[in-house]
Amino acid sequence: MFLAIKEMLHEKLRYSLIVALIFLVSYLLIILTGLATGLANLNKAAINEWDASSIVLNSDSEGRLQQSFLSQDEVASLPNNGTRISQYSTLVKSENGLKENTQLVGLDSKSFIFKKLKITSGSKNIRNNAGVVSDKFKSDGFKIGDHLLVANSSLRIKITGFTPRATLSALPVVYISPDTIQPLNKGVTNAVVFKNKLENSKIPKGTNQLSISSFIKKLPGYSAQQLTFDFMIAFLYIIILIVISIFLYILTVQKLPNLGVLKAQGVSTQYLILSTLFQSFIISVIGVIIAIILGEITAITLPSEVPIVIDKSNIIVTGIGIIIMSLLGALIPIRQIAKVDPYKIIGG
Amino acid sequence: MSNLIFESVTKVFGEGSSKYVALENINFKAESGQLILVVGPSGSGKTTFLTIAGGLQTPTEGDVKINDSTIKSLSEKQQTKLRLEKIGFVLQSYNLVPFLTVEEQFKLVDKLKKQNLTEQKMHELLSDLGLLELLKKYPNQLSGGQKQRVAIARALYTDPDYILADEPTAALDTDRSMKVIELLRDLAHKRNKIIIVVTHDLRLKNTADKVYQIIDGKMQMIN
Repeated sequence: MFLAIKEMLHEKLRYSLIVALIFLVSYLLIILTGLATGLANLNKAAINEWDASSIVLNSDSEGRLQQSFLSQDEVASLPNNGTRISQYSTLVKSENGLKENTQLVGLDSKSFIFKKLKITSGSKNIRNNAGVVSDKFKSDGFKIGDHLLVANSSLRIKITGFTPRATLSALPVVYISPDTIQPLNKGVTNAVVFKNKLENSKIPKGTNQLSISSFIKKLPGYSAQQLTFDFMIAFLYIIILIVISIFLYILTVQKLPNLGVLKAQGVSTQYLILSTLFQSFIISVIGVIIAIILGEITAITLPSEVPIVIDKSNIIVTGIGIIIMSLLGALIPIRQIAKVDPYKIIGG
Repeated sequence: MSNLIFESVTKVFGEGSSKYVALENINFKAESGQLILVVGPSGSGKTTFLTIAGGLQTPTEGDVKINDSTIKSLSEKQQTKLRLEKIGFVLQSYNLVPFLTVEEQFKLVDKLKKQNLTEQKMHELLSDLGLLELLKKYPNQLSGGQKQRVAIARALYTDPDYILADEPTAALDTDRSMKVIELLRDLAHKRNKIIIVVTHDLRLKNTADKVYQIIDGKMQMIN
């Protein structure tokens, strides 16, 4: 790869420009992927923490928790190892004026979901109008022992503990007991969540079982949001492919006379092709590494309101994706190299 | 003992009304220890002759043999290897890689041939051609004559059996031209090389062992 390295070192400006372009597009890709992941997490983090396999909802609810109301008979006919979920969206205030839009989730303290909940501070107690709340409350200034005043109600919920990654449809969750939520939703059970998938024979008429992944896709706005991001990310990959192809094509066309002479002198086409692929690999790796470093710095410095999550798996997938696109982008110039006829360059 | 033989070689470009006969029924033989000059006006077919001799083109009719094996029977990979190991090209233009220093032009050959002769042999060659002080220079920092001399040194560096030179003295003054030709003649005679020089520089006529002339694609020995 002697030839490839020497060329890049000699033509620093040209290759720096390509690296800069790859960096910019990669940076945008990393930020977009981070935002897509962050927003997805905001919608589904609490559900992921439940570590469940399926959910049973009313057949007419279209998979939406808020629209699902299960009768007592339906709930009673389901296996009793499920966690009954009651949900109520509302605004809560602290006594010192802090406000938060929230999802109140009523569940039994003996349920598998409640047992699974992790606590970052305080205790796991939801008896007597107590609640375990998302640690988003903590970052917004709420403390253990604070009382949450539920809007349009006389209900006061005492914060006993904070739990991580507890957001549902982009709102922080407050876990409370069925007794506490009862005055707000009149004791309605919206869904029953199961650790394992149920056999169809155990699903009562008028209800519908969904896998947790299908349930997440039906969260309001979730699929539309993720598809929009997926399209933007796909277009960015295509842009990387086009940009690298054009740049390498122009560079290759400019050096065709040299390539012809090198071929005449016994340099194999394979060596010249590998040289170009190596250059493409190196410039994309440099561009991606700079983009990852800057992406991480951006994620750290952005305000916490921006839901950006740059995790290792995203970085690996994005990095490999960009490098593959760069290598694919080198295919057109490679064709030029394979086709160059030394005789035509030397002339007759 | 190396040899290069053209057997009834004809090269035709185009078809129909645009048909052009670049070389017509060429019979030619070169053997080790010979410096051969091929002269002729521009467009006479000299470079076509040279590129066919180097395996860069195949004849329309006839055969070219190097050491009794027909070039066109070799695969593309074998032809590339032949050019790398047996043939040294000295071309009119674009001869040097623009992003390599003079020293690196030689290192590239080392890398390709998986050898390491740089220091000793390169210094010897460059010294013979008066180029030692140019080791760290890029081609765009050299004069036309210096570029040509570096190209010659590089062609000689692989110690090829054949050297095919296209106007190697075109950019040189008379003194330098004579030195280059003397160097090529010494190589042919003392190291048993076949050296074919295509040129329109008639000052060189008396320095060669044989002189051929190509006019309108037809070749004849004139000296």
